[in-house]
Parts: sequence; structure tokens; C-alpha cells
Amino acid sequence: MADRIVVTAVGIVSALGTGIDAQLQAMRHGRSGVGKVMHLQSVHAPDFVLGEVKMSNDELATALNLPTGDNGYTRTTLLSLTAMQDLLDQTDVSLLKQEQFAFISANTVGGMCKMEDIYMDVAGAQTEEKNLKYIDTLDCAESTEQIAEHFGLRSLTATISTACSSSSNALMLGARMIKQGVVNRAICGGGDALSRFTLNGFYTLKNVDKTPSKPFDHNRNGLNIGEAAGFCLIEKESEAKARGAKTLAVLSGYANTNDAYHVTAPSPNGEGAVRTMQTALAMAGLQPADIGYINAHGTATANNDLAEGRAIQELFGKQAPPFSSTKPFTGHTLAAAGIIEAIYCIMALQQQMVIPNLNFETMMEELEISPASTLIENATINHVLSNSFGFGGSNVSLVFSKA
Amino acid sequence: MKQPLYLISSCSISPQHTYDAGQFLQPVMSCDNGKLFVIDADYAKYISPVAIRRMSRMLKIGITAGMNCIESSGVASPDAIIIGTAHGSVTDMENFLKDMIRLEEQALNPTSFIQSTYNSVNGWIAMMTKCTGYNQTYVHRGFSLELTLLDAQMMLAEATGTKYILAGSFDELTDEYHHIHRKINYFKQETFNSLALFDHYDTPGSIGGEGANFFMLSNEQGNAACAIHTIKMLQKPTSEELIAGINEALAENGLNSTDIDVMMCGMNGDSRSKHLADTLLNSCEPNTTITTFKQLSGEYYTASGFGLWLCDHLFQTQQVPEEIVYRKGSATPIKNTLFCNVTVNGCVSMMVVRRC
Repeated sequence: MADRIVVTAVGIVSALGTGIDAQLQAMRHGRSGVGKVMHLQSVHAPDFVLGEVKMSNDELATALNLPTGDNGYTRTTLLSLTAMQDLLDQTDVSLLKQEQFAFISANTVGGMCKMEDIYMDVAGAQTEEKNLKYIDTLDCAESTEQIAEHFGLRSLTATISTACSSSSNALMLGARMIKQGVVNRAICGGGDALSRFTLNGFYTLKNVDKTPSKPFDHNRNGLNIGEAAGFCLIEKESEAKARGAKTLAVLSGYANTNDAYHVTAPSPNGEGAVRTMQTALAMAGLQPADIGYINAHGTATANNDLAEGRAIQELFGKQAPPFSSTKPFTGHTLAAAGIIEAIYCIMALQQQMVIPNLNFETMMEELEISPASTLIENATINHVLSNSFGFGGSNVSLVFSKA
Repeated sequence: MKQPLYLISSCSISPQHTYDAGQFLQPVMSCDNGKLFVIDADYAKYISPVAIRRMSRMLKIGITAGMNCIESSGVASPDAIIIGTAHGSVTDMENFLKDMIRLEEQALNPTSFIQSTYNSVNGWIAMMTKCTGYNQTYVHRGFSLELTLLDAQMMLAEATGTKYILAGSFDELTDEYHHIHRKINYFKQETFNSLALFDHYDTPGSIGGEGANFFMLSNEQGNAACAIHTIKMLQKPTSEELIAGINEALAENGLNSTDIDVMMCGMNGDSRSKHLADTLLNSCEPNTTITTFKQLSGEYYTASGFGLWLCDHLFQTQQVPEEIVYRKGSATPIKNTLFCNVTVNGCVSMMVVRRC
């Protein structure tokens, strides 16, 4: 039997806090991180609820032993560094200095969170000295390079941007690189900070709910944007065993397919999503009935939840396993969504729990299935499925199995 | 992993006459303001009138290069689409950002926001070709195309039945992008004719460029003239690390330095990476013809796409145009090419491209 790819460490920061324990506590108490805006400077801030990380940039910097103020690190990078630090606190850092190692990150708008505040100065005739150090932070790779430099990684680095499936793709790429012998280990994930750019982008698309989002609810009215970062260390099971590392979960299947249907909307009957989930299950050698929990993409937009709900029903039938969107806890964290939800799946496997789909009240009339609206403890979960679907028809499904 | 990537077809929309067959460098295009913009192609050939009206420049360029590459490959629909871009559609990003600031977050048009998404060209080509397979976007600065090719190499080596992959890259130059990046010496302060780029190695920065370069890749030779055998990425290497990288790349292919007929050198005229350019030039044997291309394409993070297109062109024609010759060697026919690209942030990528 081929060597399996296992997850041996994770790091996370979201609106629920930093680290696994903070996520677990909030989820067990049904406490959402989505709420009033504290940090994002937007004219819409008073009207919206967002999944904002509670720490300010200076607080994040201080926790990382970085200087505060205009230190050249955007919030995108600070969040990613925080999640990386969380991961590295639990693992052997010398592993990362080995040659056959990949660092794969993902984001959607790079350092836009900073650039949107200083752009007119940056694009003007003269740029203030304090802004010059951010001048080249607008692209996606900037934060990847900053993180690599901060932790002294000179190995293979890559940045992916496929909208809301970005960090799921990062994990999948790492697994493929290990299987092909390109590297032995990889840290994969990504991060996105809240920005006015993204908030206004989704708002003009009429995709944003100003009140807490209600995935898979008949009365859903759009998403809440959030921010987060997460990373997973993956390696071959044999290598993990050899170094005595604890295996958190097995990455048993993955698939990347494209809807080839519309620029921003999924195919309404969910054909694309069915194909993605099916391909990932086939790779894991599993039947739909083997899946004990589905962490849905579940953005709470009209389009996504209809397409995804139909797809789950089509593939799993009316007796679908418990499924939920965890976005009411965190907001839709865009490029980070895939990886933090992968981490929630690993938590579900380890804790044998189904994370509730908050804010669900009324069944969708198009569906005969509804999400798990309350926490289920002592569940029997051997395999979990996680969906991430993005603009451009970019779909990824991941399957995790018990170690 | 020793999976050759056969170049079944290629397409380049660049500041030179690369798009229309048989017109390469007739005439040579240059600029005096440090900005080389692409020569527009007939975008309406592949994009419907309804779609084209709202489409920004980069989307039109990227989609057209991709679709043209697919058409000339004879493949109806690729099995996968993998694209690299450092900045995506810069114009769309600038427009949405500045509108948002100017209009104080009111009454914005979502078109620019959607189009600024880095994977929008991927999504469009998937839709137009009904390609529901693997779809991926790399946004890693000077390695965006190289990671694309590495992914394609992995995918063709995996037993997934994948046979044809559309792989490519694009990046856009705007006046504002040039203005901003000139402040940090990505682009030179002084202006001169772009063809004289390498006479200005005493100052930091390069000249601005842009382009879209696409390739249909396969694990079957078909009518390909050449194949990529090795892809290497070196993070800000020292000269010693660069030499070691070249030696490794050659050794992986069982080649000696004298076996290299053409060295395609992606030097960019930046004083900060002159030591890397010198190392590359000095590593060549007298029989190797050294060629350059950034005086024609300008510098951008995915300019290696233009260099790779040019490699394919050399294998197809078995001729080296005078305009790209830096130093003439003796070797003909062209059997082995070493392609080294130096990026504006001091990284180097390397490919060994060999005749089929």
C-alpha cells in the first residue's frame, strides 16, 4: 500500500482566536467570532458584521516579537506569521531547514489591507518615507516571501490564488509534491486579512449579508466576510512515524475540478460540485456512506448554497451525513477558508464531533436535507469531507481520515 | 521526476511581432520611455462581442493567447489549465481600488473587482473550452510560470490520464505600475532606447514589459520540436549557487557544458543582478551561442514565458535571429538549450530545453 500523506501539525488564527483550543472552545459554546467591526476602516463598518481577528496589528506584532507601528508587515502577513508561529510552537523547527521542503501559501489580494490606505500616496509624485516600505506589498507572493524570510526558509516556496479555494489548493499541491518526490515535507495554507477592497467587491455583487449569515437557510441573504490564516504540516506517514511525530489525520483524498460554467456563479444544479466531491472520494477509495461529516463551503449566498446543497443531496442522498458550514463562526475568510476548514475537519475527526451550522432556522424549499444546527458530541466519524469553491468555477474537495 | 514536457504548440502576445506567424522581428519594436507594451492582436477572433465589451485589456490578451495556443495545438479541449501571473489584471485592480477611494465606497461597479481576481483568465478559458479538469493559478512573482510548469510536469507524471495541459503566464504593464515600481528601482530612472538595455548595466532596474505566453504541453511527443526536461528555481542565489545549479541541471540530463548549443539568457540590465548575469555569460563554452530577450520583451515577473516561447521558436526554425544574439557560437543544429532567467528580485530560474 502506498505511503499515506498525514497531517502532523497545524496552526491557526481566526475570529475565534489563536490556536486549536480557542477554536474548539468557541465551537463547543456556540460562540461566533462574527461581530461588530473593531479594526477595519470602512465607511460601511458600522453597518456590517465581520469575522475580524480581535487583535490589532500592533498586538499581533508584539506577540511575534516584531516592532509595532509601520514595521513593513501588512496584516495579511501578520496573520499568516501568527498561524505559522502557532504551528511551529508544536513542531521540530529544524525540519524546515532541510532541503527537501516546500512552503506553499495562498491569498487573494496580498497586502491590499494596507495598500488601500496609502495607495494615493504610493501612486502620487512623491511617496512618504513610512509608506515606501509597503510599496511592493500589493501582490500575493509578498507575504509568502516575508514569512519564508522571517522563519529562515530557503526551500521551495509557492503562492497560489484561486479565489476562495486557494489554500485548499495549497494543501493539495503539497501532497502532490510529496508523492512525486519533489519534497519530503510541506507546510501548506494561507491567509487573508480584511480589506475594504474585498468587502466592497462582494458588497457590489450583492453577496454580503449585513447581519450574521445563515448558510443553507431558506432566508439566507449572503455572506459575512472574515479574516484568518492557517497552515498544516504534511509528510509521508512513514517519515512521520520514523521521527516519532503524532499523526493528527490522514489526507486521504483531494480533487480540483472546474465548473466551466460562469465567472462568479456555480452551476445551479451543482454538477461541478458533485464531480469534485466524487473525484476526491474516489481517490480516497471511499463510498459516500463512509463520510461521517461534511464541512460545506456554505457561504450563505443564494447561488452557492443551492448548488452545493443540491450536490450533497445528489451524491449522498436524503440520508446525507451531518453537514455544516462553519462560516457563521468565522465569516468567509476567502483564501484562508480552505485551510481553516480543513483544520476544523481534523478537529472533528479527533474530537468525534460535528460542528454546528449556526443561525440555521428554516429549511430550503429546494432541498430535502438540512445542516446540523446543533453540536453533536460522541459522533462516529472516520472520514470527513471539506468543500471549497471559488470564483472562476474553481472547486476543491479534500477528504481526511482518522489516523 | 523525469517527465519531459513536450511543447505541442505555443503562442505569444508580446511587444514584438510574435502573434502572427512568420513575422517575428519584422520589424523590431522598441521604445524610448522605458515601457514596452504588447502589440494588440485581433481579440474579437476568440471572444464574443458581448463579453469583449466589458473585458479589460489583460483578460483579452490572456484569453486570446490561451485560445490561440489551444487552436494551433489541434487539441479541442485541454485536460487541465495551469496559469502563472504575478499581478493578474493590474488595470482592473487599479480601477476598482481608485474608484473605491474616490467614490468613498459607494456605487461601485463589480466588473473590475471580478476581473482583478487572479484566476479570472483561468476561469474564462475553462468556460470557453468546457474544460472541467484541473485548474490552477500560481502567483509567485518571478516563479509564477516556473511553478506552472513544475505542476504540469507532476501532473503528466501522475497516473491520472492527463495528456494535454494548457500552461501559460501573463502580466500587464500600466503607466501607474511603472511609476510606482520605478520608485523602488524595479525600473530604471534614466530613459534610453530599449534595444540598448544592456549598455545600462551600471544602474539599478530594468525596462518595463508585459505579455502573455501560452504552451500546450503533453507527455507525448506528437509534432513537438522540443521538450522541457528540467525546471529549477533558485531563491536569490549567490554566484556559486548559480554555478552549482547549472551543473546540476546539466548533469540531470547527462550533458556537458559543451553540449549546450544555445544559452537563452534572461539578463535584465539591473546592476543589482549583474553578478548573476556575468556568472551566466562566463559559464558558457565558446561554441555556445548566447542569446538575450529582455531588450525585446521588457522585464516583468513572467517574462520567462517570452524566453520559453523564443526557445521553441529557435527549435522550430533552427535559426538564431541576429537581433537576439549576444555572442555567436559555432554549434548547429540546435539540439540543447539552457534557459536561465534572472528576475528583478534577484531570483534565477533554469530550464533545459532539448530537441525532440
